[in-house]
Amino acid sequence: MTVMAMRTLRWSCCLTMLLVGSVQAGTVTAYTALEEDEIAAYVAAAKTALPDVALKVLRLSTGDLSARILAEAANPQHDVIWGLGVTNMLDPRIQALLEPYTPKGADKLPPRARGADGRWFAATGYMAAFCVNTERLKAKGLPSPRDWSDLLDPKYKGEVVMPNPVSSGTGYLQVAGILQQQGEEAGWKLIKGLDANVAQYIKSGSRPCKVARAGEFAIGVSLAFAAIQSVEEGFPVTMVIPAGGAGYELEASGLMRTSKNPADAKRFLDWTLSEAAAALYGRYKEIVTTPGYKPSAAFIKAGLPEDVSAALVRMDFDMSAKMRSAILERWQKEIGR
Amino acid sequence: MTGTIKRARDSDRWLLAACLGVPLAALLIFFANPLATVVAYSLMEPDGQIGLGNYASVMAAPNFWRATANSLVMSLSTTAVALLLGLVIAYATQRCRVPGRALLLGAVALPLLAPSLVQGLGLIFLLGRNGLITKLLGIEINIYGFWGLLIANTLYALPQAVLIIAAALRSADARIYEAAEVLGSSGVRRFFDITLPNIKFGLLSAAFIIFTVTITDFGNAATIGGDYAILATEIYGQVVGQMNFNMGAVVGILLLLPTLLAFYLERVATERQFGSGSEAAVPLTPAWTPARDLPMTVAAWLIALLPVVTIGIVVYASFVWLWPYRFDLTLRHYAVKISGGYEPLWTTVQVSLGAALAGTLLLFALGFALQRLPRAIVKPIYLLCLLPAAVPGLVLGLAYVLTFNAPGMPWQALYGTATLLAVCNMMHYWTQGFLTTMTGLRQVPSALEETAASLGAGLPRLVRDVTGPWMAPTLVSVFFFLFMRSMVTLSAVVFLVTASVSVASVSIMRLDEAGFTSQAAAYATCTMAVVVLAAGLMRLSLRLLGRGG
Repeated sequence: MTVMAMRTLRWSCCLTMLLVGSVQAGTVTAYTALEEDEIAAYVAAAKTALPDVALKVLRLSTGDLSARILAEAANPQHDVIWGLGVTNMLDPRIQALLEPYTPKGADKLPPRARGADGRWFAATGYMAAFCVNTERLKAKGLPSPRDWSDLLDPKYKGEVVMPNPVSSGTGYLQVAGILQQQGEEAGWKLIKGLDANVAQYIKSGSRPCKVARAGEFAIGVSLAFAAIQSVEEGFPVTMVIPAGGAGYELEASGLMRTSKNPADAKRFLDWTLSEAAAALYGRYKEIVTTPGYKPSAAFIKAGLPEDVSAALVRMDFDMSAKMRSAILERWQKEIGR
Repeated sequence: MTGTIKRARDSDRWLLAACLGVPLAALLIFFANPLATVVAYSLMEPDGQIGLGNYASVMAAPNFWRATANSLVMSLSTTAVALLLGLVIAYATQRCRVPGRALLLGAVALPLLAPSLVQGLGLIFLLGRNGLITKLLGIEINIYGFWGLLIANTLYALPQAVLIIAAALRSADARIYEAAEVLGSSGVRRFFDITLPNIKFGLLSAAFIIFTVTITDFGNAATIGGDYAILATEIYGQVVGQMNFNMGAVVGILLLLPTLLAFYLERVATERQFGSGSEAAVPLTPAWTPARDLPMTVAAWLIALLPVVTIGIVVYASFVWLWPYRFDLTLRHYAVKISGGYEPLWTTVQVSLGAALAGTLLLFALGFALQRLPRAIVKPIYLLCLLPAAVPGLVLGLAYVLTFNAPGMPWQALYGTATLLAVCNMMHYWTQGFLTTMTGLRQVPSALEETAASLGAGLPRLVRDVTGPWMAPTLVSVFFFLFMRSMVTLSAVVFLVTASVSVASVSIMRLDEAGFTSQAAAYATCTMAVVVLAAGLMRLSLRLLGRGG
């Protein structure tokens, strides 16, 4: 077929899709906030396992995706939510869009990784971590921090960047993690103490790591995923998991009440808890809730502890979701940048 | 005979009705309609009541007034700087003899075809704490905050100011300048007494555009603004950070307030101008005047250097192994690791051609009609046309989702299509196109049009033989403006892409979010190359067409 003919074909396909607008049988549309490279791997594997299902994926960041889902709520365009930060997933307006469904294999998940009413479950998650630029530390003659409390030291003044919790889910998970680990009073004291050293609160959760790896600042408080990715790319970065415990977030999935193809959507959700999927999670995720997870060698090399669960703060996600506006209001009043 | 005239008058009336009706319908459906959704959201209170409660709580919020003050200071500063620089560039290219005129205009226009990430990255690569210039000078400057944001906003607003001011300066009557010279007035005096008063409308329009695009822009604030909170970042925090549409809508509506300045703009628009656009005008061909042209050349090229270096360094970084640690050259970042690869780039070209073509035609038709209608009709339409620039992309995009995804509405079929992306982009940049078109139309000599009319030329002939040719350069610049912005804009379309229809700017954002900054730079470089190539091809074909016709 000539290029021209292929173009025409593609155009007419597009046109048909535009005009008909309906979903052909066997199509499952997933909205996801998972990361780019893992999505590609999962989609390829899911195609092998479910050859008759055409899986379509829209990937946006947690905040953009949540806004999109809520804006489309009157007429949802997707069948499943696949990996959205659970704090956002627990928003009552999103919960109202979900159909209770317990996928095969959900019984193997720990209770914290499942909604009590069956509206969501989480196979994976992500955690907070520091991206530490070793070159900049050396140039400034600074030691590497090991825990949040180390960051209070005035010698780090102006060298720490954090995500802004008001605009970034990652920023909020860090604040919530500190408050849940240290208790309210000590937690706020720590947050205010950190503020003295923070050069900037950045609007997104992964950007602090990016500016730290570029040598703009010594320490970017960010996500383990971003730190590991930067290490693998070859930046002079080490990942530091706060010794006292890192806040984390689960990536929740669920079935849309309005799904036009619930049978296949359920088969896909089942697949996300299958052994084939779990085998892939080990390669891409630092937190996996399905049993038998061991972090990959590359992750250990980048600085992930062998027993990740011991490094995590015990998070109460219902609490995180419920307290969000109160905590952010206080943050804006007391830190207010 | 009377029958022919009557028929001609009838066809004139129909043409005028179409020129007004079609763009107006587009404006109402694709702008006023989603804007009404935003208004409705701003008035919906948490308990389901309708009222001003959301406005009260936004104004009582801890950071609102500071963000408002910051936004005003930032926008006014950017307006002052970009207006001055824009005047220098426009004057140098239209009224002086400077070498490399086309190149100069191209250099200044670069930020229009650069995704906002590129501009932020470029400034950080140059002036950041670990930037090239910073290291070269051995000092540590803090670019994050007011100054960085001012530079970034100026870079972004400058070409839009030049677009309008250049349209105002494009035609001039040499006879007036000669007369003034004969009467002994100096060059400086001629500039202040003839040139400036004549481009008052263009300057005010440009100032209006700079102010509004600065106050609504989020991309620069997110990358280089640091902790300098502005209203656009407040909206982002509310909507994307906390899923609070109502509060975001309130701030979005408050951002429309500066548009009230437009009332004044509309009044200036009706003032008569002198000195240009006369039917017997002798085109002004600037003579080589070293005292004027040498300093102008230096100034213009110095200004143009900043965007060239800022964007150039990102292009360079996309070929570097690991910025800023390993500088050996490589093509590895061009093998982008993203689903869809470069495919969305072609969708983007189609979307942008659609947006630019439809936008230019509609704007020309509307402008043509507005010039022939009573002021009572013109005034409200004029104001409506100035509003789109004051709507932040984030607000426009979400308003499109809320409006065009509503079930049971006739326009729901458009949702999720590339067509809606094109329409959204056209509306997003409507105001800039509108003001440029109106500025250009003011240059068309009214006496020439009157003469043509009295010789029996109907409106269709008038468009073809008088207004059209006179307006051609301005319309071409409007077309390219819409095309370029549509190729790279992100803030609104990020909410309108689907699993199967996506655009280049979203791919760039996703690559950056995934941590592949250099791949994002590579993708952006490809996008910019496609824009430059497409623009070059279109210019070439225009020139060939011009020769043929």
